[in-house]
Amino acid sequence: MKIAKKIAIVVFVFSVVSCGSMRDVSIYESSKSVSPFEQFPYKILFKDSKENGLWGVKTNACKQVSYKTNNSYVGEDHLHIKWNASDCRYVAVGLKWGNYKVKNLKPILESTAIELRVRIDSGSLSNVPMFFILVDYGGKQCRANINYLDLEGGKIDTMWRRIRIPLQAFNYEKKGVNMSNIKELRLEFQRNGDLHIDNIKIVPHNYNYIKSKEKFTKLFDSHPQNLGVGKEYWWGINTKYSSNLKFGDSFEYESVVVDCSESKDLKWNTFGFSPYQWMHVDISSIYRTSAIKFKIKANELPKLKVFLFSYKGKKRRLQIVLNASNFINRGDGIYDAYLPLKSLEEHEKFTWESFKEIRFKFLSGNQFEVGNFQLIEFRGNPKKPTQWKGI
Amino acid sequence: MLFISFANNTYSQVSKVEVSTNTLGNFELLKNGVPYYIKGAGAKDHFDLLVNSGANSIRIWSTNNSSLLDSAHQHGLTVTLGLHVRPERSGMDYNNEYAVKGQIEQLKNEVLKYKDHPALLVWGIGNEVDLKYSNFKVWETIEIIAKFIKKVDPNHPTMTVIAGMDPSKVYYIKKYCPSVDILGINVYGSIENAGANLRKFNWDKPYIVSEWGVNGPFEAKTTSWKAKVEPPNGFKADQRLRRYQELIVKDKERCLGSYCFLWGQKQESTATWHGMFLNNGNPTEAVDVMHYCWKGEWPNSRAPSIRDISLENIGWRKDHVIKPSKQATLKIEYFKYNNQKVNVEYVLFPEAFSNKIGGDIQKSPDPIPLEIVKKSENELIFISPKKKGAYRLFAFVKNDRGQSSVANIPFLIQ
Repeated sequence: MKIAKKIAIVVFVFSVVSCGSMRDVSIYESSKSVSPFEQFPYKILFKDSKENGLWGVKTNACKQVSYKTNNSYVGEDHLHIKWNASDCRYVAVGLKWGNYKVKNLKPILESTAIELRVRIDSGSLSNVPMFFILVDYGGKQCRANINYLDLEGGKIDTMWRRIRIPLQAFNYEKKGVNMSNIKELRLEFQRNGDLHIDNIKIVPHNYNYIKSKEKFTKLFDSHPQNLGVGKEYWWGINTKYSSNLKFGDSFEYESVVVDCSESKDLKWNTFGFSPYQWMHVDISSIYRTSAIKFKIKANELPKLKVFLFSYKGKKRRLQIVLNASNFINRGDGIYDAYLPLKSLEEHEKFTWESFKEIRFKFLSGNQFEVGNFQLIEFRGNPKKPTQWKGI
Repeated sequence: MLFISFANNTYSQVSKVEVSTNTLGNFELLKNGVPYYIKGAGAKDHFDLLVNSGANSIRIWSTNNSSLLDSAHQHGLTVTLGLHVRPERSGMDYNNEYAVKGQIEQLKNEVLKYKDHPALLVWGIGNEVDLKYSNFKVWETIEIIAKFIKKVDPNHPTMTVIAGMDPSKVYYIKKYCPSVDILGINVYGSIENAGANLRKFNWDKPYIVSEWGVNGPFEAKTTSWKAKVEPPNGFKADQRLRRYQELIVKDKERCLGSYCFLWGQKQESTATWHGMFLNNGNPTEAVDVMHYCWKGEWPNSRAPSIRDISLENIGWRKDHVIKPSKQATLKIEYFKYNNQKVNVEYVLFPEAFSNKIGGDIQKSPDPIPLEIVKKSENELIFISPKKKGAYRLFAFVKNDRGQSSVANIPFLIQ
C-alpha cells in the first residue's frame, strides 16, 4: 500500500511539472509550411565532377573542357572550358541534373534562380557570350543569358563571381517549354572565351520585374476612321527647304496645299503620313471592306500616285496611280476621292496588321489641296469605286 | 602627389567636343573649340595607312576592345565609340523590364569606363536597332543612355545610328530621344536621297553618315538562283568617289562628316563586297579613292582597277549558266595606272548563300580547285566544275606592292 501511495505521488508530481512546461496548442494550428524551394529535390546541378555528371565534355576543335582541382569554389574540382565557336555551329555542355529525372520547375518559377560561380584567369569582362538553355522532355528549349543586374560586381574577373539566372528570365512561354517536365540544363557558348565554372545550383531569388504586352498597335475594326490626324505625323512639309508643300486649312482635318507653279524644285513632290501616330495600325479585319476617302480642292484634277506601306512582311509597299474613276466632282472645285484597298494590286500579300504609312507623289498638277483622309466602308466593285451607291 | 599629377594629366587630355552652329548657320562639330570635320572610316586596323590617307577618325561598334581606342589615340585618330544596344532581331525583348534594365546598367558602366578617354569623339548609342524591329520601346533605352551621358559626360555629343532613312524612325527619335544630339545614318544605295530625305522627314539636328560605301548586297540584283551580283571593284570605286564628292561633302549645312565602310575586310555575301582590303590584308583601289577624297590628290602608287568582267562574253550584270566539265572563258578589263607589271590570279569558290542581315556575322566559304586550261593577262580559260551547283569565280589583279583589285562572277552549273 505504501509503495502504491509513493508511486501515485511521484506520478502526480511529474504530471504537474510536465504540464507546467507544456505549451498551449490550438487544435486549429497548421503544421509548419515548407516552401516550394525547400521541397524541390534537385537543387544541386554541379558541385564537382565526382558528384555531378556532364555531357559534351569531350575536347574537339571548338572546345576544350577539363576539370581543374586547384582554386575551386566548392567540391574537389571545377569546370574549365575554352572555346572558339567560329568553326562550329553549336558549342555546348549539358548538365545531367538529377541524373535526368523529370524536374518540375513550375512551383519554383517565380522564387528561384540558377546560381553559379565563374572566374577567368586574367583581366576583366562585363559579359561572356554564354547562354543557359533549359530543355524539356518534349525536346523544346528556352534560353536566358547573363544579365548585368545579377552579375556580382558587374564584371567577371579572377575572383569567383556569383551569377544568377532567374528562372523567370527564360523565354519558356514564347518557346512553349513545359517547365514541369524539364530534362536538363545546357550551357551554350558563342564566339570565343575561356571560363572557369563552379557550384551550379538552385537558390531562392526575388524577381520583381514585369513583362509588358505593349505592341504599339492601334486596332481599327469599324468605320469610319479618320486617318493622319495631327501634323506631327506628316512628313514632306518643311517650308525652310521647299515652298512646294504647306499645311492647308480648307478641310476639317489635316490637308496639304501643293503649289509648284513657281518652284523649279520638282524633286520635292512627295509627302506622307501615318494612319495613326506611327503605330502599327491593324486594319486586317476590315481592309477588304474598306476604302481610303479624301478630298481634293483644285481647278483641275492632279495626277497622283498613292503608296501604302507596312512595317512588316515581304510585301511592304502597294502602289497605284489614281484615275478618273477614283473621283467624284462635288462642284466648286471640290472632288471626293475613293481608293478601295482591294483595288491595289497584290493587296492580299500586304501585312494589314501592321499598316504604316500613306504616301502621295504628285505626277502632274500645279496647284491643289488634298486632305481630310478617312477609312470608310466600301462594299462595291473595287475597279469602279465611284459607282457604289453606298458612298 | 603622384596620383594627383597623373589624374590631372589624364583629365587634361580629354577633348571637349560639342555640336555648334557657325556664322553661316551651318552645324559643325567643335573639338576643343576648333571646327572638326570627320574624315572617318569604320576600322579596326590598318591605322597607319588610314592616317597616311588623310583620315582623322574611326568608328567602332562596341566597347568590347578597349585597345582600339588606345591604338587610335596613338595614331592621332579620334573615335566614335559604339555602345552595343541589342537589336530586337537578336532576341532582345524590349517589353522585358529585366532584360532592358540589365542592358542599361551595363552600358552605363561602359560609359563611365570610357568617357574620359582622350580618343573619344562621339558616343554611338546603338547601331541599326531599327532594322526589322517592331517594338518602338527600344528608343526609350536609347534616350535613357543618352540622358545618362549628358549627366556624366558633358564633353562628348550623343548619336544614335539607324539603318537607312525613314519618316517613322525620325519621328520616334525626335519624340523619345531628345538627348540625342546627332543622327547617324548607315546609307548605302539610299545615300543618294539621304540629305533630302532628312529634311523632308523634318530632322532638325545635324547628322553623320555613319556608314557609307557601295550599294550593299541587300540592294543588289540577284541571279535566278538567288546569288547576289557584285559589281567589279573599279565600278565600286567610281561609286564611292562620286558619293563622297557629290553627296557627303556638299551638305555643309547638316553633315558633320562621315565614316566609310569598311576599312578592313568582312564576309557579307562575298568576301570583297564592302571591304576596302582583301582578306590577305592587301589594300584595294577603294583605299586610293578615300586618299583622294580626304587629301585631294591620288597616292603616288595606285592599285590597278578592274573595270569589267565577263564570262563566255556575257557581262557581269547577267546570269551565267554553264554545263558541267566544259571549257569556259572569263575575261577582265582593268586599268594598270602607273604599274609597270601586275599579277593576275583566279580563285573559285562555292556560292555563299546567307540570310543574315544588318552586318551580322557570316562565314566565308573555302576555295575549291580550279582547272585552268590557259591563263593570260586578261583572260582565263578553265574547265567548269563537274558538280552541279552555284559557284563564284574571282579575278584578282595586284601590283608588286600588293595593291589589288578584284571582281567576280557568280555562275550556275547545270
